[in-house]
Amino acid sequence: MTRKRFVTLTLVPAIGLLATLALVSIAGAVWFAVMNRTLRSPDYDFVGAYNFLRLLRDRRFFNALEISAVWEAVTVIGTLALAVVLAVLIFETVKKPLTRNLICFAFLVPVLLPRVAAAFIWRFLYSPSLGVINYLCGLVGIGPVEFLADPSLALISVAVVDIWQWGLFFTVILLKLMETLPRDPIEAAMLDNARTWEIHAYVTLPMLKGPLISLALVKAVESLRSFDLIFVMTGGGPGTATETLDLYAYQMGINMGGRISYASAMSLLLLVVTTVAFTIIWKAGKKWAS
Amino acid sequence: MANITCTDIVKAYGAHPVIEGLQLDIPDHEFVVFLGPSGCGKSTMLRMIAGLEEVTGGRIAIGGTDVTDLPPGERGVAMVFQSYALYPHMSVRDNITFGLRRQGASRAEIEPRLTQVAELLGLEKFLDRRPRNLSGGQQQRVAMARAMIKTPQVFLFDEPLSNLDAKLREKLRTEIRKIHMQLKTTTIFVTHDQLEAMTIADRIVLMRDGKIEQMGSPDEIFERPASRFVADFIGTPAMNFVHAEIVAGDRLTAHGGGMTLHLSPQAFTTLKPGQRVELGLRPARMDLCEPGAENALSGKVVLVENMGAEGQVITEVAGQEISFVTQAFRSLSPGDSVCFAISPDHIHAFDPETGDSLRQE
Repeated sequence: MTRKRFVTLTLVPAIGLLATLALVSIAGAVWFAVMNRTLRSPDYDFVGAYNFLRLLRDRRFFNALEISAVWEAVTVIGTLALAVVLAVLIFETVKKPLTRNLICFAFLVPVLLPRVAAAFIWRFLYSPSLGVINYLCGLVGIGPVEFLADPSLALISVAVVDIWQWGLFFTVILLKLMETLPRDPIEAAMLDNARTWEIHAYVTLPMLKGPLISLALVKAVESLRSFDLIFVMTGGGPGTATETLDLYAYQMGINMGGRISYASAMSLLLLVVTTVAFTIIWKAGKKWAS
Repeated sequence: MANITCTDIVKAYGAHPVIEGLQLDIPDHEFVVFLGPSGCGKSTMLRMIAGLEEVTGGRIAIGGTDVTDLPPGERGVAMVFQSYALYPHMSVRDNITFGLRRQGASRAEIEPRLTQVAELLGLEKFLDRRPRNLSGGQQQRVAMARAMIKTPQVFLFDEPLSNLDAKLREKLRTEIRKIHMQLKTTTIFVTHDQLEAMTIADRIVLMRDGKIEQMGSPDEIFERPASRFVADFIGTPAMNFVHAEIVAGDRLTAHGGGMTLHLSPQAFTTLKPGQRVELGLRPARMDLCEPGAENALSGKVVLVENMGAEGQVITEVAGQEISFVTQAFRSLSPGDSVCFAISPDHIHAFDPETGDSLRQE
């Protein structure tokens, strides 16, 4: 058997399966999106681009789009910022390998928790009457703070949970990456009179530019799929303060409206927007890293 | 520019000492080479002077200032690493000026100095390139420029030429020496290559197992090695060693391994008949001779190694391999009988137990 044939034969089943699963569901969504199907009645008609045109006049849709964008920015930047700060801190202060490994192990626990479990834990922590965070706030004379019921705080409060889960995980990855860096440029920087923060800002972190971009992209993709976390913690509320696109699509299509054609149109739009956005970001990131 | 004083330096990793009570004085302007086999502590010593490694005990002073507890950046030293240690994401220009910018020097101050060092090291054309687009030799020049632009009191070189090919190594070695003659900055250069050390140093500090075995000019180290270890380490091809015993007679004579050799009585005043010695015969100090000449040895050629202008001839003399160097090697082939001799002045003798040289002068 030639090498090419072997490669083809082994790849075809997997790619075929993936393509079927992805294409069939996308095709299904397109099919739904050009109809006016609802869960209430079995009748439906072909309506063409009607659902898409309606979306452009839907203010709640644009609100969800905005919330999604804010959610992406806050969680991606927050996760990376926390990871960088903690990784540098541990790298500089904890020198014993055993202690380092114990910290890494502890930092891995949050991301191992199912999203729903993490969401419930933090809902209790945030609780105005029972929560330990409000108890601590009370000690310094603040509160009680309605973390999840205050529209100006709710999104940030949920984002904190996401950053807690992923930021600590990324800290471990970054710390391990920093440990693999050659010592010599760091020592050269020390001899070049660089302070500790300068060594990291100008030498170690730029040397990790490539991995940092990859981590940012992974997190950006992951942040798009935070439905479960937000759904359990706030359900999109208060009002629509934490309603991201996937939550709105769910509310429209399944929960209250049952307008699955409208929700399908929304999902398709989300697919297009994210594909275009990520392609641009990916290309820009690669150019910047080289 | 400054002198360096190391007093009672101790370095230990856990309970395992690698350097014990080392004393070292390096005068201003001197080019000193730390030489020794790997693991002898020479790089550790250099890194302690740089401040990259903590000293377990003892003090280090540069230019009269105790720097033992100062961070590396405040010691006034600049270092060139074996791996070049350039900042991979910065241009050559940014690499060279990084240290000055950290000290808060202004652009107007940096620019002329950059031009000056770039010119000195021939880097003008490469200033906007990244290190990965440079050859090994160019990268090492950038590393040297980065060290030089800071006009430090002391230059430290940690095996800077080890990663380069032989020809380039020779070229950069000469350049480093020339630059030192121009700048006269006190320099410590670490290497395990004895030829490099001999060619470049004002003074060699030969180290072994964390101790200084001998300190002296290249000539002193070559001509009057303080121990068998030094004699063996320095010189290519390596010295021949023969166990012998001093025999009674009107001349100072040693006999052993089927050889009878006269020694210089001025050099070895304390040798007594019956004393066991280990003789050291440098291949480069021996040459072909007529049979019956003084200190003539006769043997059978085992192998001839062509080194270009001269050749190393390995012979078997009474069951022991002895090599010598001659320009007339082309007339010899394995199996030939040869006669070669060494002048009494060039024979070394060592104590077989301690390895110390028995030479008095």
